[in-house]
Amino acid sequence: MSGFLKGTVDDVRTVSRGWRWGRRSMVPRSAEEYVLPARSTVFPSDWSRKRPAIAAREVAQKGGLEPLFRSQVRTRVEGLDVLDRIDGPVIFAANHASHLDTPLILLSLPDEWRRRTAVAAAADYFFDTWWRAVGSSLLFNTFPIDRRGGAMATTPGEVLADGWSLVIFPEGTRSQDGWMGKFRMGAAFLAHEYDVPVIPVAHRGTFAAMPRGAGWPNPGRRQLTIRFGEPLRPAEGESVRDFAPRIKDAVARLLDEDATTWWESRQRASAGTTPDPSGPQVAAWRRVWAQTESPQVAEEPSGRRLAAWRR
Amino acid sequence: MMLALEMFRSLPRTVAGKAVGSRLPGILSGYAAPLRLVTIDAPVVDRPGWARLKTRLSGICGSDLGMLSGQTSLYFSALVSLPFVPGHEVVAELLEDCEDLPAGTRVVVDPVLTCAARGVEPCDGCAAGATNRCSRITVGDVSAGLQTGFCHDTGGGWGQQLTAHRSQLHVVPEGYSDEQAILIEPMACAVHTALRAGVRPGDRVLVSGAGSVGLFATFALRELTGAGEIIVVAKHGHQRELALALGATEVVAPREVLRRVRRSTGAFQLKPEFSSPYLLGGVDVAVDAVGSKQSLETALQATRAGGRVVLSGMPAPADLSAAWFRELEIVGTYASAHADDAFAKATELVAHDAVTQLSKSVASYPLHRWREALDHAHSTGRLGTVKVAFDPRSTQ
Amino acid sequence: MSRPGFVLEVDDRTPPLVVHEGLGFRLESFPLGTRVVYPPESLPTVPDVDEAIREALLHPVDAEPLPSLLFSGMRLTIAFDDLSLPLPSMKSPDIRGRIIEHVLTLAAEAGVDDVEIVAANALHRRMTAGELKHIVGERVFRSFFPQGQLYNFDAEDRDNLAHLGTTEQGEDIEISKRAAESDLLVYVNVNLVAMDGGHKSVGIGLASYKSLRHHHNPQTMVHSRSFMDHKKSAMHHSAWRIGRIIKDTVKVFQIETTLDNNVFGKPYDFLMKREWEWSVRDQASMLAMKRGLSVAPQKLRHKLFHDLRAPYGLTGISAGEVEAVHEQTLERVHRQQLVEVQGQSDVLVLGVPYLGPYNVNSSMNPILATCMGLGYYFNSYRHQPVVRKGGAVILYHPLNEGFNQLHHPSYVDFYEEVLAESTDPAVISAKYEKQFAEDEWYRHLYRTSHAYHGVHPFYMWYWAAHAMDHVDEVIWVGADRKVASRLGFRAATTLQDALEMASGTVGSSPSITYLHNPPHLLADVR
Repeated sequence: MSGFLKGTVDDVRTVSRGWRWGRRSMVPRSAEEYVLPARSTVFPSDWSRKRPAIAAREVAQKGGLEPLFRSQVRTRVEGLDVLDRIDGPVIFAANHASHLDTPLILLSLPDEWRRRTAVAAAADYFFDTWWRAVGSSLLFNTFPIDRRGGAMATTPGEVLADGWSLVIFPEGTRSQDGWMGKFRMGAAFLAHEYDVPVIPVAHRGTFAAMPRGAGWPNPGRRQLTIRFGEPLRPAEGESVRDFAPRIKDAVARLLDEDATTWWESRQRASAGTTPDPSGPQVAAWRRVWAQTESPQVAEEPSGRRLAAWRR
Repeated sequence: MMLALEMFRSLPRTVAGKAVGSRLPGILSGYAAPLRLVTIDAPVVDRPGWARLKTRLSGICGSDLGMLSGQTSLYFSALVSLPFVPGHEVVAELLEDCEDLPAGTRVVVDPVLTCAARGVEPCDGCAAGATNRCSRITVGDVSAGLQTGFCHDTGGGWGQQLTAHRSQLHVVPEGYSDEQAILIEPMACAVHTALRAGVRPGDRVLVSGAGSVGLFATFALRELTGAGEIIVVAKHGHQRELALALGATEVVAPREVLRRVRRSTGAFQLKPEFSSPYLLGGVDVAVDAVGSKQSLETALQATRAGGRVVLSGMPAPADLSAAWFRELEIVGTYASAHADDAFAKATELVAHDAVTQLSKSVASYPLHRWREALDHAHSTGRLGTVKVAFDPRSTQ
Repeated sequence: MSRPGFVLEVDDRTPPLVVHEGLGFRLESFPLGTRVVYPPESLPTVPDVDEAIREALLHPVDAEPLPSLLFSGMRLTIAFDDLSLPLPSMKSPDIRGRIIEHVLTLAAEAGVDDVEIVAANALHRRMTAGELKHIVGERVFRSFFPQGQLYNFDAEDRDNLAHLGTTEQGEDIEISKRAAESDLLVYVNVNLVAMDGGHKSVGIGLASYKSLRHHHNPQTMVHSRSFMDHKKSAMHHSAWRIGRIIKDTVKVFQIETTLDNNVFGKPYDFLMKREWEWSVRDQASMLAMKRGLSVAPQKLRHKLFHDLRAPYGLTGISAGEVEAVHEQTLERVHRQQLVEVQGQSDVLVLGVPYLGPYNVNSSMNPILATCMGLGYYFNSYRHQPVVRKGGAVILYHPLNEGFNQLHHPSYVDFYEEVLAESTDPAVISAKYEKQFAEDEWYRHLYRTSHAYHGVHPFYMWYWAAHAMDHVDEVIWVGADRKVASRLGFRAATTLQDALEMASGTVGSSPSITYLHNPPHLLADVR
């Protein structure tokens, strides 16, 4: 009997190592050319928008994620008043620089909004192992989207149609150096297709706090700032192709506003001199150098700070 | 007074031996054997022709072990006189002159206590020279006992002294070691076996068993008869080598024997219900050199119709259907006969290189280590010895 | 979609790989750089089997359509491959049965009365009624078996053999008299591997010892390089010479079929998948099976494996003139099994599975395991052996299944008597073959019981003759030491030990090739 148990342990160990349980499976290099085009092995996430999962998420976010998040970073949230003026669902389109972006956005939202907001996540990264899929769905209410444009078990449209707001990072991936990359059409397309407003979201400091490759926020409670902008709707007869740049411009302007003031950013926007969010074309190190500095939060006029929104 | 191992009457030990002796020989040599080391008066037979001998070496025979473990048939209980000192394979030297032999002569003992030794008129057997068939073995000058080593009055080899009659003594030639000489008696039996087997030139012979009986029988068959193929059944690896050295053509494991005989004789094999398979056809002569049920049945099952089965070991009860159906000649072979000149022939045979070589493996023990010796004798097959003996002269 | 076979090079990303070993398998971590040859995946199968059969019979290759060969009052004999094909036995209905039904339907339409159906088992054991029924199907069985018109060929029935003369090389041709004297002989084959079929079907399947001994011998086998490539196989050359003469005597209508590589049905299909593509379910099935096997008694494991039936699919069928048909067949077999391998290696690793052609519903005794490893798998090559001359072969099999007394009586004697004396095929052949071939008891068992012919174990040993001649070292991993040494080989506990043992022959860092087999593959070594 003990022999059997030992054999079982050995076998399970062999298999767990050989097949890299909990990590992405690998294909031997010499076999790569014979691999079938990946049939997506995306784990379904419908359950994560059902009542029990919502309850569990509430506990996880309020009891675990939020205290942890607050203990590691400081935040400044601006512009939430726009949410008072509209009803969901909406699409939050944000720049993407770090894994901190998602908790930052979610935890910045008022509770009633947060509970009804789902996050679009790369299927190939977040949904290829069951535990990653379950973990991210449960904690961040993620659902899979395909970066390469394949069919998914759940489409963003269905999620929107169910009345859920979406967080979409139109860049499709985290920035390499903290500056904004190209925006894809996804957010614009969904807004156009399902006639929901897009709320541009700009945030700064997440790259400085926890860049790509880091497993944990840098020490010292770095400052993060986040700013929600005015909802955008495609105009009558406006095409997706025309609408998409407006989203990007709005995010760029918000970044400018976040770094300077609303008035200055408006002036520059009118003059067409909003700083390019993709950063100056200088040496790579200088680009990274500039972004590794956390935003400076000046002492603000007290009138602007609404107690209800304080975090 | 002398030191000797004595077999005595003990019902509980005999019963215990019978129950477990064949399976657990350890218990047998430890506690259950009706044997004890005692100091007794040296045996004396005050009759003409008898003389005292000092034991140099005395072998442990399979029949001794059978007797000690109670495996022997009760048939023999009428032919012994308890208590007695066992040991019928004896090399000894004369302590006193015996007729033509001066004191100090080294002799081997033909253990059969014949009419001549008992001082009675020769029976028909003895008169014809078939001394081993003597029918007076319970009467006469000495107490009942088929052989020296089963008789109270004569003593046996497992004591420091014994007595023997001139007719039993065969002088060991110069140049023979004691270990060689101790093999003369078993070899003489083998000679008798070979002669009794009635082998015609070219006959196929099966020898079932490769203990000392089987090995010597193989050798005697090879040397004294015109046997063609001799197939020997051996359990252990070293027995295989020995058998080949002693003249076997082929050596097979017990479970292979029937198939091998079938193959080499072109016989047909049948498998009856609920019992072991047998052959139609087979060897001309089979020698059972073990005496177990299995060995005897193997011999019966592997012999062709009209063939001969020689019982060389003390036989256990077995299924004799084949003997009836195949009209087998079943031939017993016991000890050796004067008429065969068996001892003279055996003395020549043990001088052969192969046997000389074998004699070097004889293991001897002092009397007080008898439990060890019996244990060893029980597992000779496994341990690679052919003969275990007592050396009563030795003290350690 | 089926992917081609390919050669994997083991790297740090490669999971442990399945190696079959008798009634079980193990997961082996091969040294980095080991080449692993994977067979192509199953080819697409014929969409409508009945239609394909009809088409083949009505439009044969280089022959008249079957209906025009059938006429009232004729003697028709249908012969078919025995249970040594395919491996494992295929799920009902067996393709041979379906073909025979079509042939019989046409024969009935043509008013043929005298029909006999013969299993071409040569010196193989007689099949039981149940085994015959599995192959030919219930309808055919019921119509022919009780009347004695469906039977096993008996190569020792002197009265029913016909000597058709000798080839120009003096080879006797002696085959079933009924087949030789028929107006038409239809042969229904399953061409599992490249060695099957062609003139081997009638010329060997329906032949007697007198005829077989000319090509089933050590000299021929050493010069069959390999016997999976009939153009380079001395055995096939002989069979072709014989077959051409048979063709002159009797009209042969050959029907050959090829199967895909679908060897293991669910839930054991993970055994056919490439390991790094195993899903969680596959991994779980594997673990469950492996753990189950580790506690199951041998009998149960034997039953578990031998009860498997392969869900083979038909990849093609050709009918007509033997050689033309075989040409097409080989093309399909190669498409399904051929994998190109660049160059030879020092060490060849083979996992010997639970089943070979001669232990269907029986046990894989040490001789059959040797035949399977050093015979069939070693010879699964074209052009040159996978292992270099003087290299080493490492085989996996416990060699502990013992012998089936019913099926392999002569094997026991061969093992105990002949191998104890010599393991050299040539010596064995010269000294013992005739004795075994003419032993009355073996003959009797072959004819009346279910025993392989007395000479059959010799053929198994000859099958391995080329390998024994070619390599210097044969090591069995996980085998019973005593048995391995009786066979003249060595045993090791693990692959590492085996490589250590082989280092004297092939050095300490040899190149290694593992044939990931089954499913069937044929290495085309360039």
